[in-house]
Amino acid sequence: MLRIIACFKWVVDDADIKMDAASRKLIFDRVGFKISEYDRNAIEEATRVREQYGGTVAAVTVAPPSAKQCLKDVLSRGPDTAWFINDSSFSDLEPSQTASILAETLKSKIEYDLIICGEGSGDIYAQQVGPALAENLGIPCATCVNKLTYVESENRLIAERRLEETIETVSIPLPALVAVLPDINLPRIPTLKQVLGAAKKPFQNVSLEDLGKAPGAHLETKDILAATMDRRRLMFPADSDGIRSVVDALIREGIIS
Amino acid sequence: MAGIWVFAESRDQTLELLNAGRELADKLSSKLTAFAADDKLAREFIDCGADKVFLLPPLPDDQPFESHVPVLADTARDEDPDAIFIGASSRGKEMAARLAARLNTALCSGCVSFELDKDGKSLKMGRMVFGGAGIQTVVCATRPQMATFAPRTFEPAQPQQGRDGEIKQLSSAPASAVRVVGRAPKQCGSVDIIGAKIIVCVGRGLEKKEDISIAQELARVLGGEVGCSRPVAEVLHWLPEEVYLGISGQTVKPLLYVGLGVSGQVQHITGIRDSKVIFAINRDENAPIFDVADFGIVGDLYQVVPKLIEELKTALKV
Repeated sequence: MLRIIACFKWVVDDADIKMDAASRKLIFDRVGFKISEYDRNAIEEATRVREQYGGTVAAVTVAPPSAKQCLKDVLSRGPDTAWFINDSSFSDLEPSQTASILAETLKSKIEYDLIICGEGSGDIYAQQVGPALAENLGIPCATCVNKLTYVESENRLIAERRLEETIETVSIPLPALVAVLPDINLPRIPTLKQVLGAAKKPFQNVSLEDLGKAPGAHLETKDILAATMDRRRLMFPADSDGIRSVVDALIREGIIS
Repeated sequence: MAGIWVFAESRDQTLELLNAGRELADKLSSKLTAFAADDKLAREFIDCGADKVFLLPPLPDDQPFESHVPVLADTARDEDPDAIFIGASSRGKEMAARLAARLNTALCSGCVSFELDKDGKSLKMGRMVFGGAGIQTVVCATRPQMATFAPRTFEPAQPQQGRDGEIKQLSSAPASAVRVVGRAPKQCGSVDIIGAKIIVCVGRGLEKKEDISIAQELARVLGGEVGCSRPVAEVLHWLPEEVYLGISGQTVKPLLYVGLGVSGQVQHITGIRDSKVIFAINRDENAPIFDVADFGIVGDLYQVVPKLIEELKTALKV
């Protein structure tokens, strides 16, 4: 019976972020939150592995208490239980803090065989938490996993990694951690029944007191400014004259010849 | 100051990091250390700016490149570098994250720029967040300061006359629990999207797979390659993953980017932001790509592109 952990992050929906052109500040008023897109593949893969080989799936997140609605959302996507590691200081954590909090929780509270993470978080996309968590737990890991198979007789994984120029197939003994790529699967959309059923599934709160001391930030954020791009924004009509004007401009500027 | 380390999987990325590392090492009056797979590369890296090169011992066939991490961590503890720059290849990103965890230090992933802070010691580093909508400035509160850089963030270092350096053998990697049981070259065509001077990019405005031929014809006339936005590769599978552009795909710096039916999600724009000229054709006048384009045409790509091809053929005499 595989005990599978799917890690996920509740992130700002970046489509809702506005910017103030004058100050280059990002404006987060009225932003929505969602389960990071990449983590949906981790959740789906955990569910798929359970369906194929048997076992349990626990979804785990580190978040501020205000993120509580993520629990119903994640539980509607397949996991059996969820762990909500929360504290008001757990917003805007940097990756080493998240990895450390996850490791502490897993060591002391949750039994696991396989941990599945996404490619990176949808907000800061540092792509660190998976491999750092594996190091903190002292277990092997593989990133860039595009295909995952469990060899039950030997309690190991066969993982296909999609790298720049090669597909590398690795064998990893459990317990282990994998970070999966988005095209490993197509996350299912929860049905109404699954959404309603999620409310009945159990979840656990883990507080800062349960963990002891919160880890300090290794990486300090000085500021976050809107990324601007200075472009000319010249618009041309869709007729022959307009198209010819674009071609002429490209030739004049030495872009094409 | 115990120096700057640069580490990358490939020769090209090592040379790029040597360029940035040499400049920083000179400012800090410290030494620059690189890592090489063999003696010949080690000498090239010394010619290109390294003061010291560690030779990575060959790995048994069933060991992944990532197996070097424990030895890198031990060596970093001994040598105490002030900063470690790592090439952000797929493996490089994993190795950097694991090395930072082992050294209990800070890592700035996907660094796009850095400068010395006022104290003359700390690096103020920039990286993209929120799918490219924001630039986060970070500093490392711990040492070594670590950062990963995407390929081609810097120009490669050039060899200099009369440079000298030390070459030292690194310990063999301990056996990794992760074993390689197969390697296959990735099936990708001959498309060199990264090196392309001109890229014609298709987005979801394209109605069906066959219509990629329109983009291919435009690319042929322009002498460029065809790329796409993420959904075209990962959801529709109309083009290989290797040619999708964006924060999690390829980052490109062509002279000309032509977007056909590309809406311009920020994740995509981040991958093309260093294009010299951005030219967008989209039916939707409110498409965000027009805000970041130099030239824009609001129109049906099925009408506009054939006319554009004709105009180009006439003008370029193709």
